[in-house]
Amino acid sequence: MSQTVNAGPGALREAFYALSIAQEVPDAELLDEIVRQYPQYGNELTEFAIAIAVDALRGDRAVEAAEAAIDPTLVSPAVSRAMSHFQNRLHAVTTGTGATQAMTAPAKVADAPNPFLGLPRSEFRALAERLNANTVFIGKLRDRQIDPKTMAPSFQKRIADELRAPLEVVVAHFVARQTVLAGQFYKTEGKPSTGTQQTFEEAVRSSGLSDAQQRSLLEL
Amino acid sequence: MAQPLTKTELDGALYARPSGVEAQIDEATQLPRPDLRARLLIVDRDDPGYLRHECLVHLVRQGRRSGDQGLMSAVLPVLLGRCDANLLVKVPDGGMPDAASLRQEILDELTELFVVDGSGTCPDELDFYECKFNKAFRALRIDAVRREERRRRREGVMVDLPPSEAMGQPEAYEDAFARVSEAFRVLPTQEWDVFRDPFVKAIEALPPDEREAVILVHVLGYKEESEDIDEETAATRCNCTGRTIRNRLTRAAAKLSRFKEDL
Repeated sequence: MSQTVNAGPGALREAFYALSIAQEVPDAELLDEIVRQYPQYGNELTEFAIAIAVDALRGDRAVEAAEAAIDPTLVSPAVSRAMSHFQNRLHAVTTGTGATQAMTAPAKVADAPNPFLGLPRSEFRALAERLNANTVFIGKLRDRQIDPKTMAPSFQKRIADELRAPLEVVVAHFVARQTVLAGQFYKTEGKPSTGTQQTFEEAVRSSGLSDAQQRSLLEL
Repeated sequence: MAQPLTKTELDGALYARPSGVEAQIDEATQLPRPDLRARLLIVDRDDPGYLRHECLVHLVRQGRRSGDQGLMSAVLPVLLGRCDANLLVKVPDGGMPDAASLRQEILDELTELFVVDGSGTCPDELDFYECKFNKAFRALRIDAVRREERRRRREGVMVDLPPSEAMGQPEAYEDAFARVSEAFRVLPTQEWDVFRDPFVKAIEALPPDEREAVILVHVLGYKEESEDIDEETAATRCNCTGRTIRNRLTRAAAKLSRFKEDL
């Protein structure tokens, strides 16, 4: 196995796009051509072509039906989190700020610094694993989607310890109102509302966690 | 006329949007914001007002370039909503451990492309999405799923998937592979829809080496092996001998044979 996507400078991903876009199901001629262009990725491209073929076997009818069934006036929690991620990252890129700056900012303001902001993807995932949770649940913490009054102090302390952030910063983050960044995407129209926060237990129950993970979190 | 794309194909030609996308972009960029919002609410692909994914990508990029927060906030959630629906089908709960987190990562990864659009080592990656969104998003999704599978293998996380009905029922092999090839040619028909799930499960339940051999030979069209040392074959693609490929095919055939009647 040669380089992976993460190790490469984007060339492998370019090759994946080329392979996927050229045909619905790649054939030998196409794969050979792309491997000639990217010979260092022959194994990955072969595996990828096979994955595309198997994926194509499933067809897209179910996807089309699912998209047609979308209620366009609502935004799912997953989309809301993705939008929050987008806005946070956009803010960081356009202002040149990041997590470390946020961690040291004053805590008692309505838009308190977000200690989750700018966590690298690997650390975001690692935090989820250390808490025996998943990134969906951590995303809810990041996006202030959980009513802090329903969080145990011990849980907040645990989060502060895991983030290596002062407890007051973490608490301020949780109690700060959901900002427009996080809240405006629950509805495509209309004013954002903080009424969409879940209780801690609701958040645990609705994050796609296993029973064991749910028990573990609820006991914290 | 929308800003031309800059990404080039393998032969050096510039990628180009389909003409229908170009026309829709020209129209959508002229719409007053309330009219655009109304158009964004249309989910029926057959409705003439429906805005295609490629058009939405263009609008978000336009918003990103011009710093138009309102445009991005109006369009991106709609695009992500469609992707979310896609992912719920393609990366379903139960299909792999913690599918919800993986779906979220894929959505976040897509948004990241908009954040870094116009900068970095691949400033025009979103050009792919303005040409053929579904196929570009397929690449992003499959790449993410495979990375997650590799990560789990590295960490020794056992993937506990439901056992396939196709396992453990080897029957006499007749023409299972002919039916595999046919399945790829006829998809997606209503007749095929009836057999899709069990067939796909059977393919996915094959050990990776057997699945590779089946797809390379009977779907991509490679020879098992060749006397021409310069010719790429299933054997060269898998770094093994032609005999190994044939053995894998034989084993796979036994497992797939139950579909000889169904397909």
